Amino acid sequence: MSRIPTLGEKPSRAYDPAAMPDFSPTELAVPGFVALVLIEMIWAWRKRREAYEPRDTLTSLAFGLGSTVAGLITGGLFLALFLWVWQFRAFDIPWSWWAFALCFVLDDLAYYWVHRFGHRVRWFWASHVNHHSSQHYNLSTALRQTWTGFLTLGFAFKLPLVLIGFHPGMIAICAGFNLIYQFWIHTEAIGKMPRWFEAVMNTPSHHRVHHATNPRYLDRNYAGVFIVWDRLFGTFEAECDGEKIRYGIVKQLGSFNLLWAVFHEWVGIAQDVWRAPWRHKLSYLLREPGWSHDGSRATSDQIRADWLARSGTANKVAAENPIAGRGKSA
Amino acid sequence: MGEVPPEILRFAGSLGAILLLAGLAWRLKLGPQRALDSDDAAREAADEALDGFEPVAMVRDREGRAALLRDAGGRVLLLRQHGTHFAGRLLGPKASARIEDGALIVDSGERSFGTARLDVENPDAWRETIARL
Repeated sequence: MSRIPTLGEKPSRAYDPAAMPDFSPTELAVPGFVALVLIEMIWAWRKRREAYEPRDTLTSLAFGLGSTVAGLITGGLFLALFLWVWQFRAFDIPWSWWAFALCFVLDDLAYYWVHRFGHRVRWFWASHVNHHSSQHYNLSTALRQTWTGFLTLGFAFKLPLVLIGFHPGMIAICAGFNLIYQFWIHTEAIGKMPRWFEAVMNTPSHHRVHHATNPRYLDRNYAGVFIVWDRLFGTFEAECDGEKIRYGIVKQLGSFNLLWAVFHEWVGIAQDVWRAPWRHKLSYLLREPGWSHDGSRATSDQIRADWLARSGTANKVAAENPIAGRGKSA
Repeated sequence: MGEVPPEILRFAGSLGAILLLAGLAWRLKLGPQRALDSDDAAREAADEALDGFEPVAMVRDREGRAALLRDAGGRVLLLRQHGTHFAGRLLGPKASARIEDGALIVDSGERSFGTARLDVENPDAWRETIARL
């Protein structure tokens, strides 16, 4: 690790694994995370005691701690890979404010697609499900981060940024700020933000939808910072007043066992691949969560279709969501 | 004695903060358990566990800790408390039930989900229903 490059500085062309800025915004934010969880707990104590559950909180925070350890173990490998790829960049992008701003926006776009794959490909979902498996939605849920992200190909979505010429250190800093932004939106303590803000930015309201298991909301609002990506790619769904949100996953864990919570979907994949006929084995890895070769389970598309058929509420799904309008999920 | 690596210090600090926060949640008595204290509550929890599940028959534990519900298609859903919420499983051939001290013990057949104890009026009828699955 080395110093943070000064603004305007041109990066060296050489491949130097040690040429990473020694600055981690998420590490610096940890005391703020703890303080805000504390404040939200006091809010819960005064207004909504069911918003927190001690065992759930412990599990979520242990997820967060474990993910930092996993990051320490595997992060260096990915950074080395990124720095190696960076040799082949198209442009020499300096450490400048405009470059940071552009990198932040493009990194958020990459996040949208990583996240969307995280919900639509079971191999990716096996890792990302960790973030969703709490039936609570509070600031501790934000820290419920996976331990097994390195087993997926999520990092590949960031490689185009490296090849354009953004320094891996700059991408890592932007990704850190992205993660910090996403912390505060994991709360039920905030209703809706001003309209202009809701239109552009990801907010508690938009992200509650993302964590919901109500059929209307399944596989919606993948955004990290800018909700505009969902509006652009047809995966946006607004939070409906009057519809109680239920959080978690379609098949709730029913357990606070940390290790089971970390690995259950990987175990499920292994069991399914083992039992499936040869021609279907790979599908249990690459198809969407809930897919089964014998139709014995339901995907989010099927759950939504069943719900629409039952309730006849197709017209209630947001008109601006063309995918939902076709009865298919993103 | 050598210096403690900063990573270890950060880990220890974070672990301390986690235990502090979880301890505080426990101390403040956050997360009160809900009970399935009415048929409507059981219906609502069933719909949350399995969207669109419409029970035609149900039995609830006297304390509201768990419930069994059957729909018109003969599917049986086991609900049990999980923190402030409920979790449910559709019972399949691996599920089993037995009677212990007059209470119905339902094994979901899924090790991680485990068993539920239901103190109910007529446990035999539901034990047979589960045996037929």
